[in-house]
Formats: sequence, C-alpha cells, structure tokens
Amino acid sequence: MADPKKPRAAFAPWDRRQLPGSFDVEESARRVGNYKWIEMRLFEVLGGWVATVPELDVKMRLGSHCYHHAWHAELWHKRLPELREMNPERLTEPPNDEMVAFVDAMTEPEAAEQTIEKLVGVYRVLIPHKIAAYTYHRNNTSEITDAPTIRSIDFILQDEYADWRDGEMMLQSIITTPEEVDRAAARQAELEKLMVKAGGITGPGTIGDPYDIPEQ
Amino acid sequence: MRNLFPPEDLARDDRFVRVPAEARIEDPRSNGASNPRSARLKPSQRGGPDGARSMMHGIFVGEIQALEGAGRTCWDFEAGSDEYQVPFELKLDMARQCWDESRHVEISIKLSEHMGTEIGEFGESAFLYRAACNPDPILRLTGVNRALEGLAIDVFNSMREFGKIAGDPVLTFCEDWMLADEVTHVKMGSDWLRKITANDPERRTRALEFQRVVDKLFSFNGLRGDDEDSPVRLARRFRELAGFDDEEIDAIAADALEAKNETASVESVGASA
Repeated sequence: MADPKKPRAAFAPWDRRQLPGSFDVEESARRVGNYKWIEMRLFEVLGGWVATVPELDVKMRLGSHCYHHAWHAELWHKRLPELREMNPERLTEPPNDEMVAFVDAMTEPEAAEQTIEKLVGVYRVLIPHKIAAYTYHRNNTSEITDAPTIRSIDFILQDEYADWRDGEMMLQSIITTPEEVDRAAARQAELEKLMVKAGGITGPGTIGDPYDIPEQ
Repeated sequence: MRNLFPPEDLARDDRFVRVPAEARIEDPRSNGASNPRSARLKPSQRGGPDGARSMMHGIFVGEIQALEGAGRTCWDFEAGSDEYQVPFELKLDMARQCWDESRHVEISIKLSEHMGTEIGEFGESAFLYRAACNPDPILRLTGVNRALEGLAIDVFNSMREFGKIAGDPVLTFCEDWMLADEVTHVKMGSDWLRKITANDPERRTRALEFQRVVDKLFSFNGLRGDDEDSPVRLARRFRELAGFDDEEIDAIAADALEAKNETASVESVGASA
C-alpha cells in the first residue's frame, strides 16, 4: 500500500467533472418546478385511466407506472426548497398555457376503446419529451454544484427508459391493423403539434438551441 | 376524462362476468350447502377447495377494483387544502397503493392458476369499487383504506392460515406478503384520517360512520367474525398494527356477530317454511 501521507490530487484522474453549468439556481428551480408539475399530471392520469382500460396487462402496467411518476414528483417536491423555493407549490406550474393545452388533450380519452390513444399520448409523445428534457438538464447543469439534481435525474431516467420500452411494447402488441397504425400516427401527430407549440417540457429552450452557435 | 368514474363502466375483457353482490355471495361453490358459512375454511372440509378457489377469485377481482379505486383517487382530487382537495402526500400514497395493488393482481392471477381456477370462473360484483366512488375524499379514504383494506387483512390472514393447514407453502408465502402490504394501506388510511380531521371532529365522525356502513355491508352475512371457526376471522393483531384500537375492533366483531345471527334467523325461518 502507498504511503497514506503522500499527497493525492483532489480530483482523481478519472474524475473529469467540471464546475461550470448552464443553469443558475433560479433557472434550475424553474425547470424543477415544471418537472414536478408534469410528473403530477402524468401520475394522476395514469391512475385515472386504470379503471378505463379493459386490457388486463395494460391495466396493471399503468398502475405500476403511476407510482414511478408520483415518486419523481416527490423527488422534485423535495428538491425545490433546496433550490431556495421554500413554497414548492409556487413553482409547481406548467411552463406556459400551451403545455396545459397539451396535457388537456393527452388526458381527454376515456372510452374503453381508446387504449391506443391513451398509450400513444404518454409513451410516444410525453415520455420521449421528458427523456429529452431530463437528458439536456443532466448534461448541461454543473456536475459539482447541482449534483443532487443530477442524482435524481439519473434515477428518474432509469424509470423513464423502462416505462418507455414497456409502453412501446404494449402499443406494438395492441396495434395490429393498418387502420390502427393510422389511428396511432394521427394521435401522435395531433399531440406532437401541441408539444411543439409548448416548446417542450420546460417551454422554449427545453433542450437548448442548436442554432445558437457560440462565437469563436 | 371525467371525474368520479361509475362502477358500471369499469372496463373489463370478455372473460369477466359482472354479477350483483348477492349473487356472488350466494354462489353455492363459495359458501353454499357444501361449505356452510359457519365453518372455518379447511382443505379437508367438503367443498373446502372450491371455497378457497372462490375466495381467491374474489381476492383477484377485489385487487383489480382496489387498484382502480386508488388510481381514481389520484385523478379525482386536486392537491390542496380545500374540503374536496387532498394533500399532495396523500396522492403520493395512493399512487404507491396503485403499484401495490398491481402486484396483488399479478400475485392473485398466479395463485389462481396455482389453485386450479381461471379468470371468469366466478362472477365479479363491483361492490368494492363502489365504496371508492364517494365524492368526499376523506370518506372515500376511510371506506376503502380502513373498511375494505381492513377486510383484506382478515381475508389474507384467513387464506394464509388455509395455506398452512393445506401444507401449501406458495399460498402461505404470497398471502403473507400481501398481508404486509394491506397493513400498510390500512395504516395509511388511519394516519390520514387522524391528520386531515385533527381539527374537524364532525368530519371525522362522518368518516367513521361511513366506514361502519361499509364494514357492515361487507360482513358478508356473518361470513366474517371473531370466532376461531369463522370462514374469515378478524385479524386483531394485524388490525392493531394498522392503527385500529380495541374499541374499533370490538365494534366490527359485534356487527359481524349481529349479521351472523340475523342470517341464521332468516335461514331458520326459511327452513321451517
């Protein structure tokens, strides 16, 4: 064993974390408030839909996923005071009215024959956008100062990927005719247009701006 | 999607058969002549295995409805502090319950196969979900999490005992795990009832009255009771863990005994006629 008194680098050679990040505390809190809001809307509707879907496997899966997103909402609820927002409800809000319109449209289907519409909204539109928003945040925030947010995002992304795969497989098993393919595609287009209007989970700039080229 | 989804509209595939609660209770395979309701469920009893399969099917559909009820509570009530809102943390508990109930449905399906029955072999009545339709969130919580989930404690404990007597380690193992979850759910109900009604004794009284109505409805004509020989025996120790006090358990036992005596008296009149 090496001499324990021999000085070592504070950051090990394999630890390449950087101090700078794209978000200050205020911006991080704003985004976290948007995350909590959308996670709440998602777990609420998944819970509500359980009674409305006749497919037994889907019914059970929605019940499991409902809790995943409730837990995400709880993580963000606890993170907000750590970001100097002592009243978490104040920032638990959508980024804009267009996001409210998206959620209203996504949660509208109720009939037992609309499982495709329900699943497409969640698993082909909302969850891919959540993964994008969380990934952008994870890759752009300070790896040192905002480590608690990164830790939560890492746990959350594991759920999101698993749920996305579950949802996509449920859809592939339910969509069996050309007409159902059209239904799913039409539903996805309808909701994707609303999401584009909203600018993503945290509004315009959710995943940055690839046309914003830094000056040399 | 609307709020307050009615029991008639619960979505099911074609295997399920919806029946009125009375028809389910009076199904002769469950507790008819071959399996008198005064007797503890035993494998050696004539009709005992059928009774156990029927009870397992009842648990299965009950778990589906419990899942649906918890899910609806996530959707039906906004987070907030008004009378028809619920605390954010209560909604999180209901979401957690959704996950638990989903697992219970999975377990029940596997156990049903294990016990030699299949989905739809027995009828389903929506009686459990009906209690989850109360528009007052605290009454709903009390009716579901204290009355019905309390009943689930008794049922799971009885099935666990049946598994032990039958020498069935799979049944005993699964029922023991589900029993742990149910104690958690009942405790959730007990804790939230105390917390939300801490400064509103009138509302607490209404909630407890609703719980008693539900408890009486689900005494199953005396099927549940405090006697060792009851088909579904009151699980006092587990109810205590879940936040019931002795007085409350005694009241449930008294109601169950009353229901049993009423049923016996009706049956004796029927027999003499």
